[in-house]
Order: sequence, then C-alpha cells, then structure tokens
Amino acid sequence: MYEINLVGIEFTITAWQLLIVKLLVILTVVPVGALAGGYAMHKELGHLQHRLGPMYAGGFHGWAQTLADGLKFIYKEDIIPANADKRVFTLAPAIIFVPVMLLFLVIPIDRSLIIEDLDVGLFYLLAIGSVGVIGVLMAGWSSANKYALIGALRSAAQLIAYELPIVLTAATVAMLAGTLSITGIVEAQDWPFILWPPGIGLIAFLIFLVGAIAEMNLPPFDMPVAESEIITGAFTEYSGMRFIFGFFFAEMAHIVAFSGIAATLFLGGYRPIVPWAPLENIPGVIWFFGKFAFMFFFIIWVRFTFPRLREDQLQKFAWKFMIPASLALVLAAGAWVLYAPESLWR
Amino acid sequence: MARTGEFIPDSSEISKQISTGRMQTEEMVLNVGPQHPATHGVFRLLATIDGEVLTNAEPIIGYMHRGYEKLVEARDYRQITNLVSRMDWLSGINNELPLAMSIEKLMGLEVPPRAQYLRVILCEMNRILNHLMFFASFGAELGAITPTFYAFREREDIQYVMETVTGGRMHFGFFRPGGLKEDVPKGFYAAALASVRQVIDRLYQYEDLLTGNEIFKGRTIGVGVLDKETAYSYGVTGPIARGSGIDMDVRKDEPYLVYDHFDFNVHTGPNGDCFDRFWVLVHEVVESARIVEQAIEAIPSGPIMGKVPRVVQAPEGEVYVRTENPLGELGFYLVSDGGNKPYRMKIRTPSYNNVSALPAVLKGTMVADMIAILGSFFFVLGDIDR
Amino acid sequence: MAIDERHHDARLKKARGMSYGIGLLKGMAITLRHLFKHNSVIQYPDERQDLSPRTRGVIALKEENCTVCMLCARECPDWCIYIDSHKETLPPKREGGRQRKRNVLDRFAIDYALCMYCGICVEVCPYDALFWSREFEYAEYDIRNLTHEKEKLSDWMSTVLPPPELEDGALLPGQPEPAVAGNGAPAPAAQAPTQPATASGAGDPSGTQTKQAAPPAASGDSDATQPSNTASLRETPSPAAPAAEATPPPEKAAETPPAAAPPAETPKAAEPKAAEPEPEAEPEPAKLSDEVVAQYQAEPGPNVEVPHEAPHPVALERTEDPEAVYQQVLQEQKDKGSSPQVAEARAKVARVKAERGIKRGPTPVEVEKPVPSAPTKGRPAEPEPGGAPEAKGIEPEPGPVAPTDEEKS
Repeated sequence: MYEINLVGIEFTITAWQLLIVKLLVILTVVPVGALAGGYAMHKELGHLQHRLGPMYAGGFHGWAQTLADGLKFIYKEDIIPANADKRVFTLAPAIIFVPVMLLFLVIPIDRSLIIEDLDVGLFYLLAIGSVGVIGVLMAGWSSANKYALIGALRSAAQLIAYELPIVLTAATVAMLAGTLSITGIVEAQDWPFILWPPGIGLIAFLIFLVGAIAEMNLPPFDMPVAESEIITGAFTEYSGMRFIFGFFFAEMAHIVAFSGIAATLFLGGYRPIVPWAPLENIPGVIWFFGKFAFMFFFIIWVRFTFPRLREDQLQKFAWKFMIPASLALVLAAGAWVLYAPESLWR
Repeated sequence: MARTGEFIPDSSEISKQISTGRMQTEEMVLNVGPQHPATHGVFRLLATIDGEVLTNAEPIIGYMHRGYEKLVEARDYRQITNLVSRMDWLSGINNELPLAMSIEKLMGLEVPPRAQYLRVILCEMNRILNHLMFFASFGAELGAITPTFYAFREREDIQYVMETVTGGRMHFGFFRPGGLKEDVPKGFYAAALASVRQVIDRLYQYEDLLTGNEIFKGRTIGVGVLDKETAYSYGVTGPIARGSGIDMDVRKDEPYLVYDHFDFNVHTGPNGDCFDRFWVLVHEVVESARIVEQAIEAIPSGPIMGKVPRVVQAPEGEVYVRTENPLGELGFYLVSDGGNKPYRMKIRTPSYNNVSALPAVLKGTMVADMIAILGSFFFVLGDIDR
Repeated sequence: MAIDERHHDARLKKARGMSYGIGLLKGMAITLRHLFKHNSVIQYPDERQDLSPRTRGVIALKEENCTVCMLCARECPDWCIYIDSHKETLPPKREGGRQRKRNVLDRFAIDYALCMYCGICVEVCPYDALFWSREFEYAEYDIRNLTHEKEKLSDWMSTVLPPPELEDGALLPGQPEPAVAGNGAPAPAAQAPTQPATASGAGDPSGTQTKQAAPPAASGDSDATQPSNTASLRETPSPAAPAAEATPPPEKAAETPPAAAPPAETPKAAEPKAAEPEPEAEPEPAKLSDEVVAQYQAEPGPNVEVPHEAPHPVALERTEDPEAVYQQVLQEQKDKGSSPQVAEARAKVARVKAERGIKRGPTPVEVEKPVPSAPTKGRPAEPEPGGAPEAKGIEPEPGPVAPTDEEKS
C-alpha cells in the first residue's frame, strides 16, 4: 500500500493499482507523444521548406494529420511476402517499438513526476536503447528481399557503431553527476552540463546528439532507410500497421524520447536553465517542455537540411572520429571529477 | 554452414582468403529500376555488385520509346512542333528550336530579329528551368530534400511567365518555321527580368546549401570521374562534358539565333567528377540569366514572323541543325521530299550519348555512389528513348 | 575571358577545398531563415491562382462562326475533333436567283481524353470559331464524359478572356515594319511613359520590386565572374517597368502579398476592349509621322532585310471597248440562261478586265451539274450520300464494362 498526497488529496493505492496506472500512462503518453511529434515535424518541415505543411486534416492547420495517417494504415491489408519467415516477420516491429516505449519510463517531467525512478536509470536507458538493433536485423532478414537485407545490414552496422559514442558520453554525464539515477543527474545540474564544466559538457552534448541522430536512422545518417536508393531498407516489405509501428511510430517516439533524454542529461531537465532565483517560480514542467521542444526542433532541423553520408563515410566518422573523441572526453571528465577543486563544482 | 570438426577461419583468415581470391564471394545482380525513385523515369540499370562495389553496370533503355521518328513522318511541321517538346520535357522549347531552324534552313526563310531575340529569351529561361530541376533532383537523391522545394519554388515563377506567353507550363508549342506563333503580352519584359533576377538572387543561397555543404562535398568530390577521352569517345555533350573539362558549347562554337550578340561565359570544370558537373550546372543558370537580361535590353521591335507561305513545305533536300539543349547538343537531321511532312527526321538527342557513358563511369564505384552518379548524369528518359 | 576563367577556376578550387563544418552551419542558417519567411503557398481549392488569358485550359466553340470547313479536324495531330454536318439549301435571295447552299453543323465534339492541348485547331480556324479558355477543372469520373459536345463547348465561351495587350515593340497590324534594329531600346523606353498607369496599386510594388531586384542582384552578382555590362544593367530599370501591372510579377517572398492579390487585377487592368473576344489585336495602329515613316523606309538597318516586292505595273493594252464587252457578255449570259444577277456580275467583270487590258478567257456559263443535296432545275434531289452518319445524340458506345441496370436507367 502506498500513501500518496496528490495536489492536497490523500489516498492510498495498492502496488498493483499503481502499476496499472503507470502502464496506462505509458500507453497513452507514448502514442500521443509520437502523434503530436509527428505533426510538429510535418509543420516544421513544411515551414523550413517554404511551404505550409498539413493544413486540412481536422480543420485548424491540419492538427489531425498524423492521426488520420495512423487510422488510414489500420485499414490496410496485412501483407506478408510468401517467402518471408512469418514469425520473425511479425515479431520484428514489436521488438523495435516496445523498447522505445520503455524509454519513457525514466524521463522525469518534474520533481517526482517520473514513472519509475530507477537507481540505475541511465544504465537502463542505454541498455533498452540497444535492443532495437535486433529488431531491425530481424525485419530485414525475414523479408526475403535483397534490398531489405542490404538495409538491415547497413542499419545494424550503423547502430552498433554509434551506440558507443552515446554510451561513452552518457558515462561522462554519469561521472560528472556522480550517479546513474536520472533524477540524481538532473539534481546535480545547478548549471546544466552543457554550460558547465566548460567545454566538456558542450562537446559531450554534441557527440551525444550526433550519436542519437545516427541511432534513430535520421539524415544525415539515414543510409539504411535511404529512400531514393533502397526504398525503405529493412522495412521495404512491411505495410499497414506493422510498418507504422515498426518504422514511423517507432521513429517518432524515438525522436521524442531522445529529445527528452538530451534535455534531461545535458540541458538540466526540469530545472531552470541558469540558477537564478526568479526562474524557480516557473514550474519544472514548463522548463522541461521548453527544453524538450528545443531539442526536438533542433533534431528535425538538422534532419532536413543535410544530404546523407555514405555508408563508409558514416562508419569512418564513427570509428575514427566519434569514438576516440568520446574516449578522450571520458578521460577529461574523469580528470575533472578527480582533480577539480570543490569550489569549482557548481 | 560448418559441420562439427570443420575448421572455421577467423576474420583475419577470411579477409586474407578473399583478397587472394581463394574464397568464393558471389556477385549479386541488382536491378536498379525501371521503377526507382532515383532514376529520372523508366530507366533500368543492370548492376552487378560485389558487396558494396559495382563490378558492372549496363543501362537498359527503351521503356519509354514512343516512336518519334516514325510519328513525325505522318505529321506536318506545325504538328511536329507540338510533339517534339515532349521529348526532353524539362526543356520543352529548346526541342522545338532545332526543328524550326532546320525547316528555315531548308526553305531559306529569314527570321525577323525580334523573333530571334524572343527565341533566345525563351530558350534561356527554359534552360534555367531545366537546370533548376536537376539541381532539385540531385539534392533529393543525395538525401537533401529541402533544396528541392526551394528550386521548385523558383521554377514556379519562371513557369508562370512562360505560361503568360505560350499558354503552357511545360509543353509550349510556340515556335513556328519563320518565327513565333504570336507576340509576347504586355508586362513580359518586366516579369521575365524579375523572375530571372530572383532566381539569381536566391541561387547563391541554395548553392551554399549544397555545394558549400561538407557532406555534399564528401559525397561528390572524386566520385564518378568521367575523363575527357571517355567523354569524347562517347560523344558526351552539355554540362556533363563541360564538367569533364571539354570546352564545348554550340552557342559559342557555331552561334545560331543571335547568340553572338551576347556576352556570356562557358563554365568548365577540370576534374570531371559529380561536384564539377553540378558546379557547371549551377553556374550555367547564372549565365542564362545574364543572356536573358542582355536580350531584354536589346530586343528590337518588329514582326515576329518572317515571310512564310501558308503551307509550310520544305523543298527537297537534307539538313542537319544542332543547338545547345540544356542537356547537351540536340541535332535534327531532316530529309525532305518536297512535301509538308518530313520524309525522315533523325533526332540526335544528348541524353542518349550521355547515358552510354555510364558503364565506363560506374565500374568500380560503390552502390551509394551509383545513385550520386546517376543523379549527376543529367538525363531525361524522353530524351533517351524518344 | 582570360581573367574570368582564372577567377572561375579559383572559385571552383576554393569550393572544393576544406571548409571545416562552416558549410554545415551556413546551410542550417539558410533553412532557418526560410522558416520565418512569408509563405508563397496558394491553398488550392480555397485559393486559386490567377491564370493568364493565354493559358491552355479548355477549348471553347462559337457555333455561329463555324462554317464546317473542317480545318481544325484535319489539322489536329490527335484527330480528336469529331465533326458532322450536312448541307442545307436556302431559298434564293432574290426572285429567280440561285439557291444558296450552307453547311450546318450537326456535331462538333472535342475528345479531351485525346486532346494534347496544342492549340493548332484554335490557330488554324479561319473564322475564329475556336477560342482558348483557362478553365481546367473539368475532370470526370467517366472517361466518356470527357468528350465535350458542342453544347458544352459553347458553354465554355463564357469563360474566354480577351487576348492580352501585346508588349512594347510588337508589330500591330497597320504599323509599318521598323527597319532599324537599334530602335528597339529607345522605342520601348519612349513608349513606356505613355502607357496608362492603370491599377497603379499593383504597378508600383512591382515597379519598385524590379528596382529592388536590381540592387540585390548587384550584391549577388559581385560574387560571380560578371563582365562590365551588368553594371549598366543595374542602372537602367527594365524597359517596361511601369507596364508591369498586367502580367503578375513573381513574389518577393518577404515583401509582396500572396500571389492572389496583384494578379487578381489583371483582367480588370487589361480593360477588354470588346465585349466579344476577338483574336486580332484591335487597338488602332499607332500613327507615325511621315518623316519617321520615310526614315524607316529609307534606311534599312544592317540586321534586317525587309523583303518587299516592288510593284510591277502591268502593261495596259486596250484592245476592246469595255462598254461593248459589257453588253456582249451580258447578252451571252442571258442567252445561256443565267439569272439576271449572275449575268450582270459577269458582264461587269469582263468590262473591268477589258479596261485594264487583261486578257480574259471565255466567261463561264452555268452548267447543269447535278449537285447531290440541292435539287436543280428539272432534276429531283438525290438521296443523301452515305458518308458521315448522323449524330444520334450524346450516347457513347458501350465500353468494355457493360453498364449495370442502374446505370442503364
């Protein structure tokens, strides 16, 4: 039994009921977040490209566009290629989508507004985030399609390569904060890590960002799903709800999740951007959403401005530049933590 | 699949065996097209790939063959004018030009100067349209979709001006033997100048977006090198040839219309890779804009149609006329038997020769580079297949 | 062009060199700028673009002008015009005259599923019965409905716009051809101030627009390898700048209102002179003074060869007395049985020929030829020949998919 004091009302709730509430929250937040994120992306994309984006669906500036798209996909025929490995084929989108949903478990919106405050939150994030690779490989292999196979192999290679910079920069953050718990990391950021310690935080942020964009298969790292070359890569043979869940939804949810994670780890989460007293009056939720929105905007902005890197350039960039840089960063952060005087900390 | 007891080599062994040729790797035959977003139309490339490297590439064309050279044998010259702009549909009016010129040459018709200036203006505006289209598609193939929208926005303005003059946005049907169909409406000078100048204003921005981009440079510099000798031997013309360093432009070498009155540069790129071809493309837009400006400055008054008999009948004879289509050299070989329909019209299109140089360029490149090269080999299927 | 070449090669080399990530940031700045720029999207179908009068949308038919000469059907490259007609005879104008024959249009259909919108039919019609209209929204669910019969084609006439005024320097009918090519630049400039500044509201932004276009072009041009004459282009405004109101200028994204506003004034600004559209340019020819005309005709310029025929007078040799010829031919015709009007006309022609000394052959005499549709003297009308079947109405052939019972009813 838990005793909860929520906005002045006291009530008790059993552990099972709390679990159900948490599940419901996840099951609503993630799809709504993905839909809203998709809509925001379409609008931003439109205006960046000197046009309007969705305007029709739902009336006011097409707010229901992604909803309509999702509904349309429900009506589509469920096609499984004859030569495909049926069980693997049907399972792959789930393996891609469910870990993305689980990422939302440990992102705090406000002090104590977190679904599950794990002590090893950061470790959990990184671990769950790597599961998707298997799903992509499964999708590509079971499709019985040459293009899909090429896409899946490219994707797997890329994801593995860019997993390391993410892990190493996250480790940097953990070192600077002294804890793996996400709320602990946010609480350690009186000044957000992007600003302090100088240099280390900023470079860590940039490397993390580039790694995250690569993890999500977004341009300029979207070789695996390069539309103009191998159509959709691993997902070529998917249609209908499988496609939406495994590809579009997962991608949008992933972008939303990673924007939130980046905002939390580097920009200070629900805390004000600088530790100035009057800013504390603004509720943490507003701060979080502001930072999250900025990160989202930034990722989409980068996504639609650049052409894509070739596979070997991608790999070269990861192995010859990103990983050494993040290793150096770990060293620097370690040195800072060990040798920087107490007065310099925060 | 190794059975128990079989020796499974580790990765260093494997790479040694591949490099010395002892391990069998299979080559995969990949069909790029005919339905593919990267190829401009129904174009099929039979690529044999070994891992990520192309060992052989064979373009297969003919999916869009409409039998132009047979169709025109049953139509008179005005009808052909409307058919022929559907060959290279991106530079519509440039296709009608050598047709009109070949008939004028055979018949000895004199085109009034105003018509010639207007022809130049329309052709150069169409060149800008064509180059902007390839600018857009090249970026899109490499993954940068945003410049596509910007380029298409610029195209809209020019297409609107062409619509006020000719009535169509893509297929014009405006040139006639001896001049033009009708004169331009009021406001054309201002509108044409404004639209062209706007393109130039913005082109430098869009150029920054692509040619200044490090990722773009990484994808195109050194990729798909077409050297001069190969280009010469395949008869490659146009921006592709100029990107390989061949200083060839029919407007300068054998000036037709009033091109010798204008002052413009011919851009060449010494390296012959995708970047140089793209660079030449972008800067040709600037040159076309300059020609349009100079032409509007200097356009004379007068009739737009010379003395042409009512039924256009070319006398017996043959003539070959070549002009600088935006994609290269477009030539019309017209054989007439005295009637109002051609006896035989052979059309030498630039894209046909350009595409024939593809196998030489594609050998040894990677699959992702193949897309970049296909995009930089500006071709239109209607031009190849006719 | 040596200097330009070197500059150009240097630019190319520099562009290919390393730029250390600055290019990426510049690219991002450009896209960000567009985020805040004014949008030029016309939201169809709520907003529509104002198309030009010459836009090839649909072809309209003016039935009363059509004489069924079939030129359009003959010239159409796709053979998509279907014309049926029959000959009718009308009673003679005067007593004892010849019966008049007239073609009556039964069916005139254009199959827009085949039409390639080339406009040859419109161009070739000698009686101005076909016109271009800029309507394009006539898509149909059934392809058979894309064959517009003459009622529908006549309906399109209400959407036809008068042709636009021609640009400065165009040759209007009645004007003598200017012989000097160099007059091109001063002539438009001279005529420009005389242009009526109608719809000045739209004209001024566009006029200032073109001037605004020049300085940015200057700043843009200075980067490139431009020879010196762009300098002159920057100073001189475009020749017909005040006349820019008619054709809508393209949008400067941040400054101008959306495309709907200035083009909307085009039809009103063009001031259709005639209520009925006529393809010929109707404004009165500009009156040039005699000295200018003399100058034009006296000095042909270097670039222009004005082919004209020197009139060659025919030698007059009068061998017959015109009056006598008149009477003679009149009598001849009357004897042979022509109607009085015809006899008179032929006699007059013979007299004129005699006056001019032109040799004349034997005057034609009416021959009794059986004409299929018209009954001649003493012969019954022949039955109508086979040929074109009568148009039965707008019932198309049943296609490969047989109509269901609902569709049949």
